[in-house]
Amino acid sequence: MFEIKPIFNALCRSKVGAILLLLQIAITTAVVSNASFIIYDHVQYLNKETGFPQDELFRFTVLTFGKDRELSQQFELDEAMLRNIPGVINAVTTNAVPLSGSGSSSSFRLKPSPEESESVNAAYYFADEHALETFGVKLIEGRNFLPEDVRITNTIENAPNVAIVSKAFAEAMFPDEPALGKNFYYFGDKPLKIIGIVDTMLSPWPRSSRPPENTILVPMINPGMYQHIMVRTQAGERAAIMRQMEDVMLDAYNKRVIINIEALDQVKQDYDASDVLMMRMLIVIILVLVSVTALGIFGLTQFNISKRTKQIGTRRALGARKSDIIRYFLVENAMVCLGGLFIGSISAVLLGTQLMQWYSIPALDNSYVAVTALAVFAMTMLAVVVPAKRAANISPSIATRTV
Amino acid sequence: MFAHYIDLGWRSFKRTPLISILMVLAIAVGIGITMTSLSVYHMMAMDPIPHKSDKLHHPQLNTLDDGRNWNTPDDLPYQLTYQDVQNLANAPVPALKTPSFRTGFSVHMNSPDVKPFVESARVVNRDFFDMFELQFIYGGPWSQTEQRDASPVVIISSEVNERLFAGQNSVGKQIYLDDTSYRVSGVIANWDIHTKYYDLNNGAFNDPENLFIPFSLTAVKELASWGNNNGWKRENIDTFQDKLNSEELWLQFWVQLNTAEEKQEYGEFLMAYMQDQKAKGRFNRENLEFGLRNVVEWMEYNEVVSEDNRVLVGISFMFLIVCVANILGLLLAKFLRRAPEVGVRRALGASKRQVFYQHIVEVSMLGLLGGLIGIGIAQLGLWGIRTTYGYYSDLATMDITMYLAAPTIALLASFIAGLYPAWLVCRTTPAIYLKSQ
Repeated sequence: MFEIKPIFNALCRSKVGAILLLLQIAITTAVVSNASFIIYDHVQYLNKETGFPQDELFRFTVLTFGKDRELSQQFELDEAMLRNIPGVINAVTTNAVPLSGSGSSSSFRLKPSPEESESVNAAYYFADEHALETFGVKLIEGRNFLPEDVRITNTIENAPNVAIVSKAFAEAMFPDEPALGKNFYYFGDKPLKIIGIVDTMLSPWPRSSRPPENTILVPMINPGMYQHIMVRTQAGERAAIMRQMEDVMLDAYNKRVIINIEALDQVKQDYDASDVLMMRMLIVIILVLVSVTALGIFGLTQFNISKRTKQIGTRRALGARKSDIIRYFLVENAMVCLGGLFIGSISAVLLGTQLMQWYSIPALDNSYVAVTALAVFAMTMLAVVVPAKRAANISPSIATRTV
Repeated sequence: MFAHYIDLGWRSFKRTPLISILMVLAIAVGIGITMTSLSVYHMMAMDPIPHKSDKLHHPQLNTLDDGRNWNTPDDLPYQLTYQDVQNLANAPVPALKTPSFRTGFSVHMNSPDVKPFVESARVVNRDFFDMFELQFIYGGPWSQTEQRDASPVVIISSEVNERLFAGQNSVGKQIYLDDTSYRVSGVIANWDIHTKYYDLNNGAFNDPENLFIPFSLTAVKELASWGNNNGWKRENIDTFQDKLNSEELWLQFWVQLNTAEEKQEYGEFLMAYMQDQKAKGRFNRENLEFGLRNVVEWMEYNEVVSEDNRVLVGISFMFLIVCVANILGLLLAKFLRRAPEVGVRRALGASKRQVFYQHIVEVSMLGLLGGLIGIGIAQLGLWGIRTTYGYYSDLATMDITMYLAAPTIALLASFIAGLYPAWLVCRTTPAIYLKSQ
C-alpha cells in the first residue's frame, strides 16, 4: 500500500542525501531534547517559591570604622529608627542575606558529640525576634522568639539554646516524629530546642546542591564592623525608602559606610543571572537549530525532486495520480525521518547520561525525547509537503519531451 | 587561474542567489553561535600570565586528620592555615613567595572633604608585586623593614589614587583605612587581568583589589578575611589569636619556582616541613600529602571554566555540524544541477583536478563570507551576554585569536561540506551530458 520496498530501493540509490537528512534529524533530536530539558530544569528553579516577599524587602550593608560607639547598642538604635520610618514594616540585623549567594552553613547533629549521630546540613541566620516579620516567612507551628531568648554575644559559652527551623529541616532531622520541642546539637554538644517551625525559608544559595530548603534561625546578635541589615516595607514605598537609606543611616552616625542598598528581587536576579544567561542561549540555539534543520530538509527535498523530474513525469504518464506522488515523497521522508529519530533518541539518552555524569544536571526525562521526536517528525513532514505538492504538479508531458 | 575561479564562483553565486544566501547564512549562524560560546570559554580558560604561569605555584598541605574528606578531587584543602603560611613564608627557601588573602576597609581622609567609601584590600608580602608583575606608576613596594615591623603602609590602585588625590603622585601621603592612618608607598597601574587567578575563591572573574597592605599587619590589626574561612575540626575560636593558632583554612600562598629542580627541591622542603610538624603533633595522618600546582593547573583544579559554559561550547559545535550537513546537502543540489555545464568544460579539456579546485574555491568563498557575517552575529551574541550577565562583561569579548579563529573555522567547515560535492561533480563523465544536449 505504501510502496515501502521500491521507495527504500530508490533511497539506496541516492544514499548521501538521505544520510545527510538522517544525520541532521538525529543531531537535532539529541540536542533539542537535552537543551529543552535543561531549560525546563532552569525554569523550574527560577519559579521556585523562596518564602520571602521579595517585592517588599531590601538589604544593605553597614561598614563601621568608628571605634567610639558600642556596635550592638548602635544597631539597636538604628533598627528602632528604621522601624519608625513611615512605610517600614520591620527591620533586623542579620549575619546573612537570603538569596544573595553568601552566608554560613553548618552541620547540625541529632545527638551531642562524641555520640555517633546523623547530621543535617543547614544554612543559619543569626537574628532577633524581629526576623520572622521582617523576612515575611510563615510560622506554621510553635512560637516566635521572645526578647529574653536573644543573646548578644560572640562566644560559644553564651550561645542561645532555642531555634526556629524550616519545615524541610524539621523533616530532615526528625523524619518520623513531630520536631517541635525537640533538641538538636551544634558546636558538638550545644543543644538547640526547636520552638517554632516556619514554612519555606530558603538559604542564601538557592541554587546549591546543599538542600536550600534546610535553614534555621538562631536568636543571636553579634554585630560586627561588617553588618547586614534587612528592611521590609510596604511594596509601593520601597523605592522611596531605599533612596533615603544612606542619608538616614549616616545622619544617625557618620563613621561608617553604607553599601549594597539593593532590593531583594534584584539580589535574587543577580544571583540567578548566570542561569538566565544559560537559558537564553539555549533557547536561541534551539530556535536557530530547528529552523536551520527545517530549511535543510526543505532544500534537500527540493533537490531530490528537481533531480527526479523525469521520473515523476514518467510515473504520471504511466497513470500515477497526484496523490500518489505526494504520498511517495511523504513516505520517503517519513522513512528517513524515523531512522534519524531512532538514532537521535538513542544519542539523546546517551548525551543525557553523559551530561548527568559530568555536570550537575538531573537525569533526562524520556518524555522530553518523545515530545521532541514527535515535534521534529511533524516539522520535517511539513517541510516536505510544499515541495511534494509542487512535484505532483509536474506535467506528464515533460517526461516525454526530454528523453 | 585563481582569479578566474573566484569570478566563476561569484557568477555561480548570482545565478542561484537564494540557495547561495541560504548557505552563507547557515555558515554565518553556525559560526556566530559557536564563536559566541567559544569566545567566553576562551577568555575563561586563557592563561592569564603565559610567560610565567609555569613558574608561579600554589602549595597545598593536607592538614586534615585521616579519614576526613575535602571537596577536591584529591582531598587536599584549597587553602592553608595561618601557622603553615607563616612557617612557609619565614622558611629560608631562596624563592619569591607570599601569603595572600582578601580583606576590606572603609577608605577616608579623616576629613569631611572625601566621603568614606569601601574598598577590598589584598594582604600580601612585598614579593607579590614582583611575582605577579604589577606595574607601578609612582613609588614601589614597601621595604623589607616596613614589612618586618608591620608598618602601616599601603599600595593603592590608580583608581583609588584618582579618587583621593586626583591622580597626583601621592607617595608619602597618608590615607585612612578604617581608623588607622597608612602611608602610601606606591601607586600601581590598572591591573588588567580578567581572571583573578591568584585568588579563585570568591568569583574567579571579579576585579582585583584596589589596596595592598603588608601581611605582617594581619595579627596586629586582627584583619578579618573577606573570603572563605573553612574550619574542619572542633575548636573553640573566641579571639583572633585563637583563629591564628587554629587549624582553620583561610589563606592562600604563592611561590615562584623557576626551574624543575627548584620545584623538586620545594616539594622536598614541603615534605620535610610536614614531617617536622607531624613530630610536633599536627598532620595527624598516615600518608603526608601536599600539592604544588602552577597557575594553569590551579585554574583547572579550581574549575574556573563553568559547567554551563562547557555544555554550551559542546552544543554549539554540534550545532555547527548540523549547519555543515545542511550546507553539504545544498551544495550537492547546486553542483549536481550544474553537471551538464561541467561536462562541457571537461570535454573542452579541463582536468578533473581543475574542476575540483574550481568548486573548492567557490565553496571557500561562501565559507569566508559566512565567517565574516558570523563574526557580526557573534558580536551580537556577546553583547547579549554582557547585558544579561554583568559578571561576564570582561569575558564576553573576542580577542585577536578569536577574530582569526572565526574565518578559519568557517573555511574549514565549508571545506568539509564542499569536499564531497566537489569530488562528485569533478567525476562527471562528459559523454552523457554532451549527448543529451
